[in-house]
Amino acid sequence: MSIGTPGDDHDDRPDSGPVELSAEATVLRMLLGAQLRRLREAADISAEKAGYEIRASRSKISRIETGRVGLKIRDIEDLLTLYGVTDPPERSQVLDLARQSSTPDWWTKYGDLLPGWFESYLGLESAAETIRGFQVQFVPGLFQTEDYARAVTRLGHQAAPAEEIERRVALRLQRQELLTRPSPPQVWLIMDEAVLRRPYGGPDVMRAQLRHLLDTARLPHVTLQVVPFSHGGHAAASGSFSILRFAERDLPDIVYIEQLTSAVYLDQRPDVEHYLEVVHQLSGEAMTPAATTRFIEQVAGET
Amino acid sequence: MKGTTMSTDDATAAGSAAGQTDQPAFDTSRAHQARVYDYLLGGKDNFEADRAAVDAWLEVDPELPFTVRSNRAFLGRAVRYLTAEAGIRQFLDIGTGIPTAGNTHQVAQGIAPETRVVYVDYDPIVLAHARALLISSESGATEYIDANVRDTEKILDQASRLLDFTQPVAITLLALLHAVPDTDKPYDIVATLLDAVPSGSYLALSHAGSDLLDADKHDSLMGVADRMIQNKITYRSREQLAPFFDGTDLLEPGLVRVEEWRPDPGTVTTERSTLWGAVGRKK
Repeated sequence: MSIGTPGDDHDDRPDSGPVELSAEATVLRMLLGAQLRRLREAADISAEKAGYEIRASRSKISRIETGRVGLKIRDIEDLLTLYGVTDPPERSQVLDLARQSSTPDWWTKYGDLLPGWFESYLGLESAAETIRGFQVQFVPGLFQTEDYARAVTRLGHQAAPAEEIERRVALRLQRQELLTRPSPPQVWLIMDEAVLRRPYGGPDVMRAQLRHLLDTARLPHVTLQVVPFSHGGHAAASGSFSILRFAERDLPDIVYIEQLTSAVYLDQRPDVEHYLEVVHQLSGEAMTPAATTRFIEQVAGET
Repeated sequence: MKGTTMSTDDATAAGSAAGQTDQPAFDTSRAHQARVYDYLLGGKDNFEADRAAVDAWLEVDPELPFTVRSNRAFLGRAVRYLTAEAGIRQFLDIGTGIPTAGNTHQVAQGIAPETRVVYVDYDPIVLAHARALLISSESGATEYIDANVRDTEKILDQASRLLDFTQPVAITLLALLHAVPDTDKPYDIVATLLDAVPSGSYLALSHAGSDLLDADKHDSLMGVADRMIQNKITYRSREQLAPFFDGTDLLEPGLVRVEEWRPDPGTVTTERSTLWGAVGRKK
């Protein structure tokens, strides 16, 4: 399905937009439910007790947690309090997801604004069990240093006041906290050699960035691979994308492709499988993680 | 710590995988065994053709999910026995499949962290996962060889970089040899592998049993396989499997259905798999 470019390849169905977009809301509702279940279980609270809190039955809680029904924002706030989630950013992350999942047209409101579509990505990213992807141009956001992030943010928002740039950089750094949380996702990213060679922010910033990549690659749940210029293959034909996978068996993988002014989400199987195939081929074409580490060291020496 | 990788890791995999060997291309138009197993074990690294083949297979053999889970559990019990009780510290696991929970190195290194494990598979999807994700313990080591089981020379040559073939090695060939037809000499393959390891080594093997399902079911399944699955499948009888273990003494209880091989106490099974399995100790 496409967000930001509605109906671009489904012209044969006049109302394909709403039908497909409601599938997106379903995914978000399932994610919301899965998050609520994790929080409830972490707090060691029974479904019965949670139901009592919001004057609902145990089976309603089960339906909420499997994403079959939504619930009111006020009820979610009560549940979060019951689950001991008091940290405002953590609460707002769940509540934002709830608002998006209960508002079938959230994308039209936010589709042309970076914060809207990007926030929904952040919700999905933080709920993912596995994050895979390919980057042709920039160091993946999760692995960026503050200085590198500032350099690429300035490029994208040249007229923005310094204050806004700093907020965007702060957002990016905050996003990286998922790498160090208690049960982090498996992150398996492949980069084109160009990512290592193009020195955003200048050689000093880039050298520090390359060293940071080496540190990040040492995390046990992080796998980093580089496709060298010497290899043609799929790397040459593909743009950047990420694939998010969720622990729940029934949730489909979601492909995320960022564009200049919007993003595209794909969750239809034929689309997703195409990207799944490409990411596997890229991984086979790329250097192994061990060779990648040596290669980054070499590039750092040349930068 | 990340597992060590083969010394070929400076090169990209494409050089070895493309054209020069008989490895299959990354083809999602037909079902591949590794991806079929992934689907049956609850994974998401499978494609439309894999699921379609499973659906067609299940119409004839509804117990396939049990068979696949039982095979995985047999692997776990065999590796646990070999590490904890037989003192094995080297494994050659051929036909790795897409990594999932309870891989050989996780079971073995969980018991004896210094255990060395060499995985072998030839499917490009396994290559992608194994090179990227097989993670080893601090003192042990895990390596991956991209090779067809028919290429025993390559397997033994590359495995000898990590494994010491003067010390006992456990060779595991699980749910693999039914993908090798008689014309490709599966008995010679196993004999060559066993020849390379010393007395006191082990062979753990499971295999689809032609005498574990009705003849008409067998014929229907072969029809599904021919139509939908990338490699040919050959079911063999218990009698036909015995020669794989030539030169070994079978551990109790011998060659049995995989779920009957030293089941964990208290295990109750109401279903029956269609796989024979055994572990033999080289004389």
